[in-house]
Amino acid sequence: MSPRSRRWIRIALAGPGAILVALVVMAGMALWLPGGSAGIDNIVLPLILVPLIWTGLFFHACLDRRLARVAFISVGLFLVHAGLIAHKFFDAPPASAETRP
Amino acid sequence: MIHLPKDETKAMVAVHGWSGILLGLLLYAVVLTGTAAVFAEEIGTWSAGHMSNQSAFERPVGAVLQKLGAETPAKYHEGVDLFEVDDHDLGIFFHRHEMEGGKLISRGIFYTIAKDGRVANRQAATDEDVFGARNDNALSAFLVDTHVRLHLPNPWGLLLTGMVGLSMLIAAVSGLLIHRHLFKDIFTLRHHANPVLVNRDKHSVAGTWSLPFAFILAFTGSFFSFFGTVGVPIVAMAAFGGNQQVLQETVFGNPGKPDPRPAAIGNFDRISSDALARAGSAPTFVAIENFGRADAKVTTYHAPKNDAIAPVTLLYNGALARFERIKPLIGPRPSTGGALAALMYPLHFGNFAGLVSKAIWFGLGFAMCYVTYTGLCLWLSRRQNAPRSLVWLERMNMVVGLGLPFALASSAAAFLITMPLRTAIWWTPAGFLIGAAVTIVAGCVAPTIARLSWMLRFGTGMMMILLPLLRILSGGPCWSAAMATQQPVIISLDIAFILAGGWILARLRARQPFDRLMTLQAAE
Repeated sequence: MSPRSRRWIRIALAGPGAILVALVVMAGMALWLPGGSAGIDNIVLPLILVPLIWTGLFFHACLDRRLARVAFISVGLFLVHAGLIAHKFFDAPPASAETRP
Repeated sequence: MIHLPKDETKAMVAVHGWSGILLGLLLYAVVLTGTAAVFAEEIGTWSAGHMSNQSAFERPVGAVLQKLGAETPAKYHEGVDLFEVDDHDLGIFFHRHEMEGGKLISRGIFYTIAKDGRVANRQAATDEDVFGARNDNALSAFLVDTHVRLHLPNPWGLLLTGMVGLSMLIAAVSGLLIHRHLFKDIFTLRHHANPVLVNRDKHSVAGTWSLPFAFILAFTGSFFSFFGTVGVPIVAMAAFGGNQQVLQETVFGNPGKPDPRPAAIGNFDRISSDALARAGSAPTFVAIENFGRADAKVTTYHAPKNDAIAPVTLLYNGALARFERIKPLIGPRPSTGGALAALMYPLHFGNFAGLVSKAIWFGLGFAMCYVTYTGLCLWLSRRQNAPRSLVWLERMNMVVGLGLPFALASSAAAFLITMPLRTAIWWTPAGFLIGAAVTIVAGCVAPTIARLSWMLRFGTGMMMILLPLLRILSGGPCWSAAMATQQPVIISLDIAFILAGGWILARLRARQPFDRLMTLQAAE
């Protein structure tokens, strides 16, 4: 792959890619994080952490010399959390007001 | 200390520069208006000439609340918000929650209660009308609105300021990573070196000292911007099948067994006085759920106590007017998420230790403005000999950097003139636009950039000195009246404006007026 192509892939992973992955991770986190004593941690923590998740993904994409590793982590996070969301929608009854205990 | 390899350091320098350049001017506007908005409450008191010191919740309002409850259609008893409006008058908003265009809104009847207990105003309203700008707070609301969403319609304004916050986060982290000698840089200020190094040292020192602050502001700011626009809809979609109302009730509500039996609201004045005694200060906001029902809950919100950072929230049984418990700001019980979310407010607004923390936040915000502006100047000066001229960008940088304070001072002047005419809601932004237009015209016609700098700073200095005079001439309280009613903030802000204006004009005289004062040259 040419250095120019690698650069553009890196920019795509650091910019729109990191935004997309951060948003999907935020949504997916609400499904696996424990609710805590008040039953709200799984909802509130992803909302608080999303700017930091995005920043982490951004700097990882900028600084990791191995582009494949950057792509692997981004795609992996995306697939795991998107899968959780899909599972919730296809297997669970919709519009339930559930919180994790 | 973080020592990155050469290539990564180069990448971080590029990221640092471009994060500033792409959104730097917007970032400057957001940070400058945010710096001023730290004192939004004080600016509101100063500009409107508020003379009352007694909180509306220290006066008996229980009887009025009961009377209005009886007059208001029961469909709006789902929630009642009570908060101060104008000069410590009381606003009472009976409402219910509705979805409109995919957005959760509150709709109902809004009452304004004067100090003598009379209903001064009644109107059908939504939360946007109730919590929007009014004639007497148009200036502070304008500052806050500019900071929060740059006057763009929702959600675009919030999304843009959120993006600006993320770019600030990038600039802060990359700024930390490219510092090879962080601790040395904090104290390196070569006063007698050549101007190039002096200017770069100033940028570096101000940036290094304010680095943790920049990180906190950017993080909390982007959290606030994305919370309602992107975060809540997406998390509600994942966890509640898209039902945002259920999410709001889970996070902010008071869960319990519903009891819809009719029951008159308890003695609200007893709740007010009890809350004042427990929290050490009058409530800043009161929310009643299920007004007129046996399961009514009253939540009172207070400023943080002297030795605390997080605000105080108390929960009462509404029908019995009985204290139940201290409630976390978010969530029904103390939790990690609730504690972190509650910290976001004081960390962003700097209001946890009264005027002292506000002054520190103001100073650090000012340092951030300086860093953003001089950073842009440094970036431009490094490209002075570039094949493509960037003079237009240099002028634009100056029009925004020095023109924004002038336009803000213009909006303040417009507010002071038009508030007595009750047209301030329209004229405050109009004053800003007029000031901005004058600045842009000056940017186009000024023969040199140094001349432009001189004109803008002269205008800002003069405008700031004139503001206290305008305030008094337009019917605001004089210093003796402010002293008599124990409103030192009015006098303090008058003095602050005079000193700031005088300082700007004095610096104008102290230096050669046609020097390129803010245009830095490449340090390397």
